[in-house]
Amino acid sequence: MSSETLLRFFLAIGIIVLGAAVYWFFNQHLLVRAKNNVFTLFKTLPNKPVIVYFTTPDCVPCKTIQRPALDKIKTLLGEKLQVIEIDASERPDLAQRWGVMSVPTTFLLDANGEARYVNNGVARVEKLMEQVQTL
Amino acid sequence: MTSQSLQKVDHSALKTNQLIIISLNILAFILNLPILAAFVALMMGIGSALKIPGFGFVYKNLLKPRGWMKPDVLDDNPEPHRFAQFLGFIFMTAGSLSLFLGATILGWGLVWLVVALAALNAFGGFCVGCAVYYWLGRFHLSGFTKQPPAGTFPGMKPKVGVRA
Repeated sequence: MSSETLLRFFLAIGIIVLGAAVYWFFNQHLLVRAKNNVFTLFKTLPNKPVIVYFTTPDCVPCKTIQRPALDKIKTLLGEKLQVIEIDASERPDLAQRWGVMSVPTTFLLDANGEARYVNNGVARVEKLMEQVQTL
Repeated sequence: MTSQSLQKVDHSALKTNQLIIISLNILAFILNLPILAAFVALMMGIGSALKIPGFGFVYKNLLKPRGWMKPDVLDDNPEPHRFAQFLGFIFMTAGSLSLFLGATILGWGLVWLVVALAALNAFGGFCVGCAVYYWLGRFHLSGFTKQPPAGTFPGMKPKVGVRA
């Protein structure tokens, strides 16, 4: 591999990292929005971790991947976790307030109701478990 | 947003197209291969002419039959996505020509612009070309007749539950 190719490789990595950083800041922005709007879902704090799951009836990946993943995690954790499902087509107001732009989108809130993670798109059970365990 | 007939659009085919465009363009940049960027432009041009995603055949013949990618069929307008690909083709052609003419910064800049827009679509669900299509439609330009699916921000991937 020539030095020019190496230089271009690292330049490409740099550009990709920059793009990822922009994406990270966007996710942080979503978490702040979720934090500010958590009381649109709860009157009092849930006192346990919560997954807020935005979906729609016709979303195929929601049915084939996201729903089974959430069912599995609910079975594994039982009462230790609350899952709130929101149909974004029925509640566009909530989707807008939480900054949801596509489905499925899952927010993970800790016991204090603070949004800690957001997954834009499908989040598999392993990833959700990993995130829940840090809450 | 008025009542209009939407069609079934498989967003997995579009996503495959975007991911291949991203990969090949980055590879073209790393290996300094303007010919590869020109190939991407050519495929996008062929796709635009045939009204299909340029690299959609990879999804149709390889990824979908083997179950490596599942269909994500949504009620949507195909026209804005075709327009978006056509815009990409224009940028890629301009980028490739610039590279062949020695304007490397402009050329790679245009190629990276296509990468960024395709990544925004593939990972963020926002299609800039589609947004431009809907924006032009507001000026009643001929050929830009479709409106975003109800309840969908122009350019965003439909949240479905969408009714024609």
